[in-house]
Amino acid sequence: MSAPPRFLLTLPTTGPDTDPAPLPEFVTDTRQGRYGAFDAIGEVGRAAEVVGFDGVVAPFAPDAEEPLVVVAGLLRRNRWIHGVAGLHPGIGTPVYAAKLSASLQRFTGDRFGWWPVVDLPPATARAHGDFLEGPDRYARADEFLTIAKGVWEHEDFTYEGMFFQVLAGGFQGPLAGRRFPAVHLSGVSADALELSAKHADVHVFDVTDDLDALIADLGGRAAERGRTVAPALRLTVAAREDEDEARAVQNVPEHALTGSFEQVAAELRGYADRGVSTFVLEPPPDVAEIYRLGEQLLPLFVREHAHVD
Amino acid sequence: MSIDIYWRIGTHGDQPSLRRRLVTRGDWSPVVPGSITPGLREGRPDGYSHLDHMADVARSTELSGFVGGLLPSFPFTDDPWAAAASLARETTTYRFMIAFQPGFLHPVQAARMSASLQRATGGRVVYNIISGGGGPAQLWWGDKVGHDGRYARTSEFLDVLKAVWDGGPVTHRGRFYRVEGAGLPERLAGQPFPEIYFSGSSKAAIEAAGRHADYYLSWLEPFPALAAKFDQVREHSAAIGRSPRFAVRIDVLARETEEEAWAEIRRGWRHVDPEQLRGPESTGDSVGWLRSSQFIDWPVREPRELEASPNVWGGFHLLRGGPAFGLVGSYAQVAARLDELIALGVDAFILAGVPHLEEARRIGENVLPLLRGGRPGTSVPSLETLEAKGSTR
Repeated sequence: MSAPPRFLLTLPTTGPDTDPAPLPEFVTDTRQGRYGAFDAIGEVGRAAEVVGFDGVVAPFAPDAEEPLVVVAGLLRRNRWIHGVAGLHPGIGTPVYAAKLSASLQRFTGDRFGWWPVVDLPPATARAHGDFLEGPDRYARADEFLTIAKGVWEHEDFTYEGMFFQVLAGGFQGPLAGRRFPAVHLSGVSADALELSAKHADVHVFDVTDDLDALIADLGGRAAERGRTVAPALRLTVAAREDEDEARAVQNVPEHALTGSFEQVAAELRGYADRGVSTFVLEPPPDVAEIYRLGEQLLPLFVREHAHVD
Repeated sequence: MSIDIYWRIGTHGDQPSLRRRLVTRGDWSPVVPGSITPGLREGRPDGYSHLDHMADVARSTELSGFVGGLLPSFPFTDDPWAAAASLARETTTYRFMIAFQPGFLHPVQAARMSASLQRATGGRVVYNIISGGGGPAQLWWGDKVGHDGRYARTSEFLDVLKAVWDGGPVTHRGRFYRVEGAGLPERLAGQPFPEIYFSGSSKAAIEAAGRHADYYLSWLEPFPALAAKFDQVREHSAAIGRSPRFAVRIDVLARETEEEAWAEIRRGWRHVDPEQLRGPESTGDSVGWLRSSQFIDWPVREPRELEASPNVWGGFHLLRGGPAFGLVGSYAQVAARLDELIALGVDAFILAGVPHLEEARRIGENVLPLLRGGRPGTSVPSLETLEAKGSTR
């Protein structure tokens, strides 16, 4: 048995703001509009930290809070969790993205990661200034990551690409030598797997994907480059003390893992046996749910690991 | 109208004084006993980073009566967006003046980051838009656009950013940027747009500033030169029906008495490399840099030869990294010079002093309370008297 799986939690950063339920007017309400979305996100991040999640993900989405801002603030106020920020390769230059990230690695003890989103719906992409289509998007993402890593790892780096360039760039002094942000990528096309084989630390699949074939394909492509990429799975869990209670949970998406904590753990172990080493849990990440998972699901994996030791 | 006074945060460490160019705060020098953030405990790094020092400066700044601070951006510094996002929730009133070059971020991304930061801070984001100093540093950033092109890009960037901020959907096809159906999502919409401090001394810069600046920001120069520069900006702005306010970025070294202040400068002067006294060198295309080097008769031999007019000293770059001109004098003298600048039309200051943490307190307690708001009759030396003195060319 290999190391226990890592658990990341997707933050509730999308959609419109929701106002807290108003109190009756005869009840003293001291909140007075002092709190907002960042307090809610901060509460979730804090819960993920104290119950033992390995990290949090702020996804890139058109209706989302800006991920870099969210993750920077959360990592500052928590000690252990890693933070993965969604971004698309049209947000700016790779040198600037790397520079900003080098500071975040310095500030957080290397707990910052990237999730570049390459395969955006065309309308979303164009609304963000990105008019590339087809394989060009992967070529640009490759260049983006190549240049970002180039200036990160070399003091004198020159690259003339189709989309970006840099001349005698490269970080020096205390900005140099940090760990490059852990690169998370997703997608099931040959282009997506090829990009991951070259650049990703983690590749995120969905439960509806043809997992065994894709993990084998990705592994083969990475091995050709002398690399390994950790397969991850994005999913929703509805876990309670017993199966009946779990099945009564409302608003659970179709492919959610539903059952007792032991049943869900067994299913997750099944995925782990097929090569999945990271689970990215999707909403609902309210504090009660995070505590429930942290206290009752996550320990099932720690214990198993302890026994093997 | 009230005057906004900012206090810079060093984004590349700090010296404990101007006496030696020895950086002990942050890790831009080797981490040794006596280093701070990171420091050493039992011989090992203590886990603090330069951000922890920046947080201390930010808190000292807000307690000392400043409205916020400038976070500079250069190839060797920590990044202002990263620092502001990290410190957003552990300050209360501190405004983050984020220095950035528009060419490096897409305007829609800048809009999203800014809107989220406005939400995280309760509207405490301010922009310091810089368009780059050119030369090898510009290529280091991966930017090949020439000087005037960079200002054209800055203008287009701000056009798109403001349009996206104000609603949308925005469709735009320009020289540098193209978007279709861009806008901010519901949760990010409706935030106050950050005030824009706009830097640049060239004609292209002043033209772009006329269109976009809330504050036209300049390094300190001898006052008559500064007044002439402001007049130029006023003229350009008036032609397009705008009237920007003015801000000056000033290093200060103020002590109880004038003698103490100059004694501090002289202690630093002993360590200045004599090569540097022949005159400054620049590798870029920055007009601001060229201007500031012209106010002094190089070479110089002793500190007060760099005093272009009373208390206006052009040797700060010899004692720490950064621009040349700042104010040296007693608390009362420095306050009086700031009042003269207010009388010239300055509406905001970005002050700085080394070390930033302690000097924020000193200036907040001893200089700011003496300001009188540039009362009428404050005398300003004319360009002619200064030229007669041989201080300008």
